[in-house]
This record gives sequence, structure tokens and C-alpha cells, in this order.
Amino acid sequence: MPFRYLPDVALADVAFEAESDSIDGLFETCALAVTDVMVDPKTLKGGTAKNFSLEAQDLDRLLYDFLTELIISKDVDSLLFREYSVKVDPGGRSLTAQARGDAIDRERHSLRNDVKAVTMHLFGVSQVGPRWKATVVLDI
Amino acid sequence: MAQASSFKQVSDVSWEIPTTYKQGMRVPARIYATRKLLEAMDNGVIEQVTNVACLPGIVRYAYAMADAHWGYGFPIGGVAAFDVEKGVISPGGIGFDVNCGMRLIRTNLRYSEVKPKIKELVDLIFNLVPAGVGVKGFQNFAQGQMGDITSLGVKWCAEHDLAWDDDPAHVEEGGYIKGADISKVSRQAMSRGVSQFGTLGSGNHYLEIQVVDPARFFDPDLAKGFGIVHDDQVVVMIHCGSRGFGHQICTDYLRNFESSMRRYDIQVRDRDLACLPFDSREAKDYYSAMVCAANFAFVNRQIIVNRVREAFSKVFHRDAESLDMHLIYDVCHNIAKVERHSYEGFNGELLVHRKGATRSFGPGHPDIPAPYREVGQPVIIGGSMETGSYLLVGTKKAMEETFGSTAHGSGRTMSRTAAKREVRGAELQKKMLDRGIYVKAATMDGLAEEAGMAYKDISEVVETMDRAGISRKVVALRPVGNIKG
Repeated sequence: MPFRYLPDVALADVAFEAESDSIDGLFETCALAVTDVMVDPKTLKGGTAKNFSLEAQDLDRLLYDFLTELIISKDVDSLLFREYSVKVDPGGRSLTAQARGDAIDRERHSLRNDVKAVTMHLFGVSQVGPRWKATVVLDI
Repeated sequence: MAQASSFKQVSDVSWEIPTTYKQGMRVPARIYATRKLLEAMDNGVIEQVTNVACLPGIVRYAYAMADAHWGYGFPIGGVAAFDVEKGVISPGGIGFDVNCGMRLIRTNLRYSEVKPKIKELVDLIFNLVPAGVGVKGFQNFAQGQMGDITSLGVKWCAEHDLAWDDDPAHVEEGGYIKGADISKVSRQAMSRGVSQFGTLGSGNHYLEIQVVDPARFFDPDLAKGFGIVHDDQVVVMIHCGSRGFGHQICTDYLRNFESSMRRYDIQVRDRDLACLPFDSREAKDYYSAMVCAANFAFVNRQIIVNRVREAFSKVFHRDAESLDMHLIYDVCHNIAKVERHSYEGFNGELLVHRKGATRSFGPGHPDIPAPYREVGQPVIIGGSMETGSYLLVGTKKAMEETFGSTAHGSGRTMSRTAAKREVRGAELQKKMLDRGIYVKAATMDGLAEEAGMAYKDISEVVETMDRAGISRKVVALRPVGNIKG
């Protein structure tokens, strides 16, 4: 799995570490981790698409805003996503993305935790050699 | 884990970390805990409470209560008071779930009457109160009303026949905090608020039917003043907050605060400690938006109470008034408020942050509703769904020592991931049923994460606060039915 939970960090919340060989892949992996906290992704079909277009002051903030958009989509549009295709612009200050998922159905989806927010605690994106890494703590 | 020998012991249940512990500490840290609780506390609490002690304008101590555990920025179970002119406000010192809190409603039913109907009752409440991931609330109520809901709080409910006459007086701050300004709230926060109005949420949020525990009926005289007169009386406890509305407001302002801090030359040790001078324009905007969320949370809990009264009325074929379903009290445990306090020659207003901590005002305080003023403010401490909860009362010593604050719950000792490894939801549900607790959960994973073993021993937390004298035990409440989001 390209992300792993950090069970010893922020006990009441959920922390994870993600990595990828590209910045686009890192964003997609982090988004999948957020999905995994909220629902068993295998129970989603992916019949509904939503597009995102975001700008931010830096790469950290861009990831924070992107993950926050997924939480807003869950609350406002009742959408959970299982697939992500992200394109981060070379400057790392804007992105376009498409997410595919389903409207929430309590009968069909194996739901987990209602994520409240992305926290800034330990939050960060870094490049270690050829790999991109991110640490995220979600408020539950 | 924390090492007790590293700290100065102040009493058998309180410890101090001096300002020499970490560069930049402006005040010492004070921890309330037995030696056992202290040694079980994760190091994150110690790091975080000493980080809070570094914030500009903090006065007296940075506190960690007996239930403290590692949060983000502030520890959960943390209290910090700031000078209103020289001090700061920090969204991370309040939490994403602004005005998460507890409500306790009494009934005149005895357990023998409720026991045969517990399944019917819990199932009906589960259907009436939306709970779980992404569930929609009563959007039609909230649409177009958010300005009034967020500025008037429970007063809005009273004006719309959604509260009993005596409900507002039995809510902290009378059910609404002054200073709300909806123009300071983002469009995203409004959308999240409208869609989740009247919902319970998930995580550790719950709605529980409880029974007075006769073996732990500590102060029957005081309990009588709160309307608890029988040793098998049934009550209902609700734990939830401002839902996505408050979460988004905190998210929005954390982002603004972090970039604005440079202008005020403030450095913090953790990004979630982002803070700004309380008298700055940006801080005033956040405070106005945060108050909107606090008032929304009061209303959210009120809407849920109305559904609970409706369910009891249907199941017991009596109206809720004849079931005496009055509100005992409603307390916030994620909030910052301007309050008047006295200590060491100071007497004036302070901005008190309570993150996972409960107000515990003592007898005679003018902010306590008249019927309780002589005895003190009811303090509601929610435990895990397996171990039960407590009703306590605020004390004069809390006013003297902790800016009128105490603990809020039992506090986690095990992560959610670890808890799920230890027990499966369905297995836990059956085990609880065998012990006389009927649980209806929106998700089995979420249920497993809230298992009693993932929390500290609530009795030890409550005992600590009682021995410290900053809240006093009244009665323990045993769960018999639980709705878990």
C-alpha cells in the first residue's frame, strides 16, 4: 500500500504517511488514504465524476486545500471517491484533478469515519531522493 | 510515556513543569493526574502543553487535565487563559469541532420501565437522529435561517417553538454567545452547516441512554437539585458539536492565521498553534465566525434533544413534559470565551481556551442558572460507551486554580488503528449486549474504534479531578442504550 497509517500519532485522530515517485502520484495517494479512512473503497463503484481546479500559495497548501475539498464534497455533495487523477502544475501552486466515486449509500457502502478536517499538525510534503512524501493528520 | 520523576509534584494529583523545561516557556505547565495517569500519558501531551506555555500573553499556567491526550497544537484536555490585550487567540486551542459539548436530559422513568423497551427506543432514536459519514440533516430548517441560527443560538429555537421555556437557561451562556457575525463565515462552511444541521456525527460522538448507578450515587442531595431523585433513574446524554460548519470555519481561519502571523512577528512550535493577537482585525473576524459555530452547535444539540423527546413520547405513549424530560445542563468543551476571573491580585477579563475541557464554575457564580447557583454548575463528563459517564459539579477551587475548568472525558490511550486490531465491531456489539448495553452503530469499524479499552479509566480521571477539588462527583451514569455515529 503506498500509504501507511501512523497508529502512534495523535491518538484520537488518524495520521498517515504517503509516498510516490511523482508529485501527482503523491496527491492521488493522499486522496486515496482520506477515502480509506471514510469508507472501504472496494465498496465504491466510481460512476460519478467531479472535477477540481485549485490554486494555492505553495505545494503544502495545495495538498491541504485539495484534501479539504474531498471532505467538503463528502459533506455537501454526499460524494466519496475511489479513483483520482491529479495533475499538479510545474510550479506546485495549482492543480486540476478528476475524482470518480459514488453518492453515499449506507446500504451499499461500508462506511468508516466521518473526517472533520485536515489538521496542520505534522503536515508537510517533502522530497527524499527521487521519492515524494507527505504526512497528514486527519481530525476525526 | 511521561516520567513522573521529571516533574515537580504539587499535590498527590497535580504536577508542575517549570519554565526551564523548554526555551520560550512564558509560564509553567500544570498537569492534573495521579501518578498512574501521569505515567500513562503520552509524551505528546507534555510536548504540546509546554508548547502552549510559550504562546504570547498566556497567564499563570498552561494546563493539562487528567484526561489529556495528544491532539494537534494544543493537547486535548488543555486549558489556557490569555490577557485580552496582550494575548492571542488560537483556532487550534479550540479545535475543529467548535463547541463540541455534552447535554444531559433527565426523565422520570425508572430502568425497570425502560429495560423492556430499550431496543425499540434506541432503534427509533437511531432513525430520527441522522448519524454517520456524510449523512444529511434537516436542511429545510436551516436553509435561509443560518444568520439567525448562528447569532441567536437556542433563543432562535425558542422563537421557533423548538425549545421548551426553560431550555435556554440550562445551556452554558444561556444557549447563545454574543458577537457572532455570519459575514465572517465562508460559503463552504455555510454549505457544510446547512447540509449537516441536526446531525450527530461520528468518531466519539454518541447519544446514550443511561441509568443512575446506585453504587456510585455520591451526593443524592446535590443530585436532587439537578432533578435526579431515584437510584435507577433514566437519563439521556448527547455528545456532539458544530459539525462541518465549525470544522470548515476552523480550517479557513487556520489557513489565514498561519499566513498572517508573520505580520505580527509571532513564531509557534507547531503549525496548529497558529495564533494572532486577540485585538487584531483577523482575530476579531475569527472570533465572530467561531461564535457563529458555537451557537450553531447549541442549536444542533437542541434539534437532537427534540427528536429524543419525540422518540420517548412515542415509545412510552406519554408526552415528553409528563416524562419530565427537562434539560439538566449543556456544557461546551471546545471553546474560547471572554470570562471574568481573579487570581494573584488580578481581577478582570481573560480569554479562556478550553480544548477538551469543561467549564466548572463554582457556587454563587452569576453565569450559573438561578436554580443551580447556590450549588455550582453541573459538569458533564462523558466516558467511553462501555464504561459510563459522570455528572459532577463546579467548585470555588476551580475558580481559584484553573480559571473554572476541569476535564471533559476519559481520554484515549490507544489509537483508532490499534483499537480496530484488538476488537471487531460486531464482536464488541455482542459483548456489550451481554452486559446489558444495546448499541446501534452507523458503522462497525467506528464502533470498534470506540471500545472502552481504547480509553483511560474514567473513574480514575473523575477521582483525580474530585481529589484536586476542581469538580466534585455527584453521580455516575451507566449506559444501557447507545447510538454511535
